[in-house]
Amino acid sequence: MDQTKQDEDYGYELFPERHEGMHKKSPFKEALTTFNHKCQFMLQVAMETSPYAKLLLSAMNNSGCKVSKDRHFSCEDCDGSVSGGFDAASSQVVLCQNNIHQQAHMNRVVTHELIHAFDHCRAHVDWFNNFRHLACSEIRAANLSGDCSFTNEASRFHLGLKEHHQECVRGRALRSILAVRKISREEAQKIVDEVFDSCFNDHAPFGRIPHSKKDAKFAYRDYMNRSRYYANL
Amino acid sequence: MDGRIAATWRPPRMCEDYLNEFRHCKSFSNRFHHYYAYGTFPACHQWKEDYHNCRQWETHSNTEAKEALQKSERTRVAEQKNFKPVWELRREPPRDWHMPLNQENPRDS
Repeated sequence: MDQTKQDEDYGYELFPERHEGMHKKSPFKEALTTFNHKCQFMLQVAMETSPYAKLLLSAMNNSGCKVSKDRHFSCEDCDGSVSGGFDAASSQVVLCQNNIHQQAHMNRVVTHELIHAFDHCRAHVDWFNNFRHLACSEIRAANLSGDCSFTNEASRFHLGLKEHHQECVRGRALRSILAVRKISREEAQKIVDEVFDSCFNDHAPFGRIPHSKKDAKFAYRDYMNRSRYYANL
Repeated sequence: MDGRIAATWRPPRMCEDYLNEFRHCKSFSNRFHHYYAYGTFPACHQWKEDYHNCRQWETHSNTEAKEALQKSERTRVAEQKNFKPVWELRREPPRDWHMPLNQENPRDS
């Protein structure tokens, strides 16, 4: 298959460092001219302190996909305003070091991409050929990562209250699909609508929609307690 | 029923967790987020009942309380599964998850 066409079809042009033959850069030059170290540092902080990330890492470990920071995460420069991505072909979470500058943002991107990784680990997700699968994972990631919290939406000047969370999830899922696949807006909207009810209600591994850090801490506590929980149902 | 199982049963969560969930459920912050997500306000009374039943079991080994608590938690689990999955779950993790990066990874997941 022609590599260029394949890359275009699957959104790889957003992640130029993922193209063939562009991996080799002098580490010294890289350290001086990129945000690589800052990205690595913020990633470490996210993995150690964010209850969202800790829960997902634990769930993935228990599903047989132990996450190794060096193998499964990659800090890279990306195009445009993309913050990150999950590359199923290499089983890697890509973090856009040129677009993530605050810890809170890093925490959210790590959570969002780990949700994709978790879906990849626990289900037969056909990322490349099945738009329903892609839409479902995007709905879940927007729903459960805090992407659509009231504060984040307000900071984007999307002010809404009653059920706005759902509107945001639909919108962000649609945007994410359109960013990485060649498909019409109408078609993408139709697919999001088809799978929305199912995927919005799939809260694995959180057991709830973690609206806040407190929710996430409760969810983490419940996850660590799951043996006792299921044994005594 | 097997006497050994009855003797070793304990509530699915620590009683304190039920109380914390009740308090969290009633909080302004949670009520706000629930309305923001679902357009309605949360019903929190079940957490309070569960806490009460949990304490009843702990202090008096009340079997009615135990059964009520189990029923409540089973309903919670069922509610979490109340959707038709879009994809098929795996029986094993993806073969290439741990494979080193410089090897050819098949696109098939």
